[in-house]
Amino acid sequence: MFEQIAFYFFSVLTIGLFLVAVFSKNVLYAMTSLASGMVVIAGFFFLVGADFLGVVQLIVYVGAVMALYAFGMMFFNVTKNLKEKTTSTGWVLIVGVTAALLMTLMFLGAINPDAIYASLPMSDKMTNPEAVGMALFTKYLVPFEVAAVMLLIAMIGGIVLAGKKMDTSLTDIKDEVLQLKDEE
Amino acid sequence: MDALTIGTIIKILIILAIVSAIAGFGTYIERKVLAFMQRRLGPMHVGPFGLLQIAADGIKLFTKEDIIPQNANKFIFSLAPVITAATAFIAMAALPLFPTFTIPKSLPVIGGAIVPSTVADINIGILFILGTMAAGLYGPLLAGMAQSNKWGIIGSARTAVQFLSYEVVTGLSVLAPIMLVGSLSMIDFNDAQAGGITSWLIWQQPIAFVLFLIAGFAETNRTPFDLLEHEAEIVSGYLTEYSGLRWGMFFIGEYANMITISIIAAVVFCGGYNDLAFISGWFLFVLKVVFFFFLMLWARAAWPHVRPDQMMWLCWKVLMPLAVINILITGIVVML
Amino acid sequence: MAHIEEHKETHTVQKEKQNYVMLDLGKTPKFGMPAFIQVVKRSLSLELLKGLGVTFREMINALFKGKMHTTKYPFEKLPISPRYRAIHEMLRLLESGHYRCIGCGLCEKICISNCIAMETRYDENQRKEVSQYTINFGRCIFCGYCAEVCPELAIVHGGRYENASEQRAGFSLFEDMLTPIDKLKEQKEFAGFGSISPNADENIKKTPLAY
Repeated sequence: MFEQIAFYFFSVLTIGLFLVAVFSKNVLYAMTSLASGMVVIAGFFFLVGADFLGVVQLIVYVGAVMALYAFGMMFFNVTKNLKEKTTSTGWVLIVGVTAALLMTLMFLGAINPDAIYASLPMSDKMTNPEAVGMALFTKYLVPFEVAAVMLLIAMIGGIVLAGKKMDTSLTDIKDEVLQLKDEE
Repeated sequence: MDALTIGTIIKILIILAIVSAIAGFGTYIERKVLAFMQRRLGPMHVGPFGLLQIAADGIKLFTKEDIIPQNANKFIFSLAPVITAATAFIAMAALPLFPTFTIPKSLPVIGGAIVPSTVADINIGILFILGTMAAGLYGPLLAGMAQSNKWGIIGSARTAVQFLSYEVVTGLSVLAPIMLVGSLSMIDFNDAQAGGITSWLIWQQPIAFVLFLIAGFAETNRTPFDLLEHEAEIVSGYLTEYSGLRWGMFFIGEYANMITISIIAAVVFCGGYNDLAFISGWFLFVLKVVFFFFLMLWARAAWPHVRPDQMMWLCWKVLMPLAVINILITGIVVML
Repeated sequence: MAHIEEHKETHTVQKEKQNYVMLDLGKTPKFGMPAFIQVVKRSLSLELLKGLGVTFREMINALFKGKMHTTKYPFEKLPISPRYRAIHEMLRLLESGHYRCIGCGLCEKICISNCIAMETRYDENQRKEVSQYTINFGRCIFCGYCAEVCPELAIVHGGRYENASEQRAGFSLFEDMLTPIDKLKEQKEFAGFGSISPNADENIKKTPLAY
């Protein structure tokens, strides 16, 4: 009973928040609703008893959306509404509808509940984090390691791209030199 | 309702009423301690030893005009302080404050209720606390961005930077004790250190303890790292445009977070609420938490601020490598 | 009053400890191994704890050894220098109790901000009597010329520096500035502008000439 009420409550909240994230013209509203939508999704994990995944969702997406905020802060005036430039409405429509259709097809399996089964069912012997660890390090070891290597590559790439002049500190460079660089 | 439900409700009331009162009281303690360390007297005139100063401040905050700047995003502007205050108390849901006890049957209504040590003993307690505290940093971030003030924007930019960096250190530093205990539950942490002072995790994980304290200072934006509201540089950072009750909510949230960090340090590293010889556990626990709280005030009196670049340097070039090496060594030891 | 004595005490302590030494910090390495070694050295020598130690010592001193530095101002006041030029006082003759002012008008003449106004007349004994005497404290710059020029030491500067009121005129009437007749015995002679402060000996050693 409680679970069902909570489920529908969270569903309405999530859909509403993501709708705001898509349709709002204000960057601040869009990002805030995105962040809170991500937090609300953690509620679903708690509902089905996957506490660990819920908290991971919370920690990971809180951090990720905060990085998004940083970009928003740098690129937009967050207190003003944004005027979007859409050059071809047709393309946006076609791509959007196709994506929506694909997603619907992907999740069609959910219509028939018998078709869904857990490949690694939860057992009462293990606590939540242990179960996640078991799944990650046995059945899904290879994708897990591949993802890890991908993230490592991304990190190194980021450092290389951003860190070209990391050996000189901006505070140590004299103002005149900095101005000269600006003029170039 | 069964005994545990009533007990849990009592516990929730304890946290909301008493801890928020203590968080308010923390402002008084901070002013007094800072004053004594600078050989001043601190608040003196309202009530005995200035004890009623908090009441006076409260009245002032409640009756002050609530100003929202003209160009501010009004909804987000009023939402931000609520986020800080609410998340600070949500985090406390998973904190053990004292051993589980039963209220004696002689009392009416609540007699026989079992008051649990945590409101929700979820088996991922520490991650939950850190996660919600991290979410609490949305308060300063949104506050700074919504107020259309350049100091606020700089303050919230610093929030993003500080949070994204030090979240890593907090997580990594707590990871080593987690590996030793083999659980994420705060209760398990407490039980693992039941064997007297030698079984405290601080002796096995001194580096993790120091790293956690440093990162905790950064996450609660206490003095060596309070870049968010550096008065000398950015007026008041994200708080610049706030006044009255909204400002007070940020304050309550900050002090509640300080208490949370103190409790985590006491439970994870310093033996929790276990009895020690003849001293009862809850008394010792209060002493530990008070010490960590005092340490935060003490550091504020003793140390200057750091620059933002120094703070990033400290995080990425010193603390994070240390934390990773610490985890590596702990992992090898645990495996052997 | 303990804190006031303590105040003087710290003055003497400071005097004894005045031997500043420049610390030799050496060169600051920026990169590579030397920088790394410096970081490790500084972290392991626990310099941060020394800062904590100092503040804790001060707290113990303040709380238990009576070295609190606060003067609870409206209740306690630090002594001010005899040279201090605050609200004026009109003195009386000690023998007769009559006010000293002879109505010569020199103070009115010399006042550079034109704030003293006085009217005089001959009384029944054919002596000069002050019928009106006001100082406009809205204009007065407390230069002290009036007290310096007064031939009878009648107008002097007092120590009343808390001059907040609804109207500054409240301080400025002759009767308000005049020593009350019942407090004649407590009336003190103005030491004057050349007078030295009570702790002049201590202060003189602090001038740069001492080095």
